Amino acid sequence: MKSELHFRGERFIIIKLLIFLLLSITFLFADINLKYSNEIRKKFSHVIQPIYSLAALPTDIYNSISTYVTYKNNLILEKKELEKKILIQSGIIQKIPSLQEENKRLKKLLYSSNTSSSSKIQMAELIKVNLNPFHNKIIINEGANKNIFIGQTVIDSVGVLGQVSEINNDFSVVTLITDPAHALLGVNARTNKRIIISGIGDNRKLIAKYIPLNEDIQEGDIIITSGLDNVFPEGYLIGQISKINRKESDDFLSVFVTPSSSLSSNREVMLLW
Amino acid sequence: MVNKIHFVVILILLISMIINLFPLPEIITPYKPPLLMLVLIYWSLAFPNQINLTYAFVFGIIMDVLLLMPLGYNAFLYTVTIYLIIIYYPQIRLHSYWNKMFSLLIILLPYFIMSTFTNNMLNISYDILEVFVSMIVSVLIWPLLFSMLRFIRLKYTV
Repeated sequence: MKSELHFRGERFIIIKLLIFLLLSITFLFADINLKYSNEIRKKFSHVIQPIYSLAALPTDIYNSISTYVTYKNNLILEKKELEKKILIQSGIIQKIPSLQEENKRLKKLLYSSNTSSSSKIQMAELIKVNLNPFHNKIIINEGANKNIFIGQTVIDSVGVLGQVSEINNDFSVVTLITDPAHALLGVNARTNKRIIISGIGDNRKLIAKYIPLNEDIQEGDIIITSGLDNVFPEGYLIGQISKINRKESDDFLSVFVTPSSSLSSNREVMLLW
Repeated sequence: MVNKIHFVVILILLISMIINLFPLPEIITPYKPPLLMLVLIYWSLAFPNQINLTYAFVFGIIMDVLLLMPLGYNAFLYTVTIYLIIIYYPQIRLHSYWNKMFSLLIILLPYFIMSTFTNNMLNISYDILEVFVSMIVSVLIWPLLFSMLRFIRLKYTV
């Protein structure tokens, strides 16, 4: 009973503490420079994947139950609406080949290089797990077997989501454009001026950096990808300028951009080749 | 007897690890308490001789790998917190129910201060208000967690 109440080996514990602290701090600094935690995740991905899918199980069950319980009438209505949407969109798509041809001709006139547009799209599903709220990363269920590459563009139906930053056997990690460590080169669709868009960790906000005070920029301007960063293909929606703070004492404007993709409430994403 | 303790503790820790990964509604996600940390605190209070720094370190590393954090981040925080628990263990054990909640607050304070400090150092963005609310939430759920885990302890490890 006495040994239950009193802690033995207090001398040990300090040595243990020092060893573990030293180890974890070394790991921390080594990992920031060498990124070997990716390798570890890759090695153990067969163990990690079941844990993720186990953690995602409640949402999956909830989703399947809610689809099962939905009324027939609602489903019929939904189907009609979706069919209408498909009709309208395929109507819009009809024009695309001719527009592409026209675009090519105009580019030839301007002697500009021909950028090849990406052709293949693949769907991937999100694995919904609760990561650190401060991390702007998502996990998708496609891995190394699907020819995914690092830096691949990930979009949803309304805009750019981010890029693939880590590939494992059964899942990959996507860094969102809202990650504080992420930046991309966008273009203002109205003025064709290039803008650096960077994340700040907030899911509903991006900032545009290094814009001179006299730049022609308005709230409501649409920002699309420029294709000049060699990561994101040209012409995908990034977002809309939501707020411009003009302060004469600053060197640059502080401009906020609302991302167009619903970065937090997605279930399916698309990978571009 | 000791093997049984280890078995039960590892099982509970694994379960709480998975619960920690459960997706929550967007609004409450930032205020999520560090569940695995709290469960570790409970077990190190209950069996300080068996469950100590090694557990904290190993589960911290596992958590880092699962949460896509830099390796060593959670291991560092868990180790220091469990060390504090073990050092102040004789005092905490004698505290009354409400005092225990308060002393948990005192012990979690270094954890949250260090996590914000590490976040600053590693350029991980965070919101100080969210961190604070998460701390309060962990103190509030502590009594419930405590009684649940005590039930498990009395039933399966004695």
